[in-house]
Amino acid sequence: MTASTPSKRKAKLPSQAFLAKAFHWINIISLLLMLTSGLQIYNANPVFGGRGGWHFPPFLTLGGWLAGGRDWHFAFMWVYSLNLLGYGIYIFVTRRWQHRFASGGDLKAVQVSQNEKRKNYAWHRLVYTAIIPILLLAIVSGLSMYKPAQLHWLSGLFGNWQNLRVVHFITVPIVLLFTLVHSLLALKAGSFRLVKSMFL
Amino acid sequence: MIMLPQRGFSRRKLLQWSGLSGASLLLGGCGTNLLSNQVGQISEPLNQSLESLMLSQRPVPEYPVSAIEPDKLLINTFDFTPQIDPAQFSLTLDGDVNRPMQLSFADLQKLPLTSMVIQHVCVEGWAAIVQWGGVRLRDLIALAQPKPGVRYVYFQSADGYYESWDLASSLHPQTLMAYQKNGQPLSAENGAPLRLASPVKLGYKQSKWVTQITFVNQLMPMKGYWEDQGYEWFGGL
Repeated sequence: MTASTPSKRKAKLPSQAFLAKAFHWINIISLLLMLTSGLQIYNANPVFGGRGGWHFPPFLTLGGWLAGGRDWHFAFMWVYSLNLLGYGIYIFVTRRWQHRFASGGDLKAVQVSQNEKRKNYAWHRLVYTAIIPILLLAIVSGLSMYKPAQLHWLSGLFGNWQNLRVVHFITVPIVLLFTLVHSLLALKAGSFRLVKSMFL
Repeated sequence: MIMLPQRGFSRRKLLQWSGLSGASLLLGGCGTNLLSNQVGQISEPLNQSLESLMLSQRPVPEYPVSAIEPDKLLINTFDFTPQIDPAQFSLTLDGDVNRPMQLSFADLQKLPLTSMVIQHVCVEGWAAIVQWGGVRLRDLIALAQPKPGVRYVYFQSADGYYESWDLASSLHPQTLMAYQKNGQPLSAENGAPLRLASPVKLGYKQSKWVTQITFVNQLMPMKGYWEDQGYEWFGGL
């Protein structure tokens, strides 16, 4: 960040790597489709309360009916998970994982730093780093429900079927909450210019 | 084909209506369903090959008898519940086989009984741990001796329900033609006298009231009652 340089030179605009932006876009779109088709599947037998449980209103659901929701869910699971895999390879090969994600320094900054800007930025990095395991958990719990017989060793980790359904579903409110907090922190840490740099 | 009695408002109708109304709320027409079908047509071949690749012939680990959940197995039926007298029942094995045959319920009970405690998973999202007892389908297949080109198995039910499976899933050691549930003789609503039961397929693949098993080389345009409405054909777990 060069915003604090005393010179009159125009501050350098934040920019993002093309592959980071591509991942971000594909992740948003595929997650939105996974989420809405997932709510369609949820409605066939709500995780909480079964058939008598509360259902999501139809305008939040994709696919028209259960089979349609499953069509979308099991098509975009590929886009969603391969995009995440591709991103994983990308940050590993370019070593971005070493300096683009939260570190001990950020943890320390949110606790002791007196510099408001440093603190905001540390929070921003901590939050977007924390969503990665949630994105992976959605895949692991989803696979466990998709193939509970062939991947019984994986589904077994969740104890029972209801736990598995709860864990898979809980990724939805977490992702929604994350989207809100992540957007606010990005605005706080780098204002609209930072947000724009990730989309354009 | 058995003539189906006409019902005023069947589950089928209800689902059709709910599907249509859901779609109309989203896109103002049946466009969503159409688009869903197209999305499915692109992804299904890929998903099907993954599913058949993942299918192992090794038995799926079973549960202890104490884990059985008698109240969790819900009853789903697309139309009505046939009442079949076991003494009058016969199972037909036909199609591309060397030894087409008819088996009475007594014949079936003379064959080795296999019992398993497995998880039954419904496409709707619920699951129940159930004990099933019956004849391994692979034992019936060995009796009928399918010819070399056979790849698919059709199941016809007394209520008009029909299903088709890949041969590998039919040969799985835990794919049963069951006549017992949770230690008791099967009830009419659970598919008495004979139904499919397997840990490797979703519930809608597990036909109840099965009266005919037909071995074929190719899938026909009619793949299964729910599949023909849009559900996935393989439906593997």
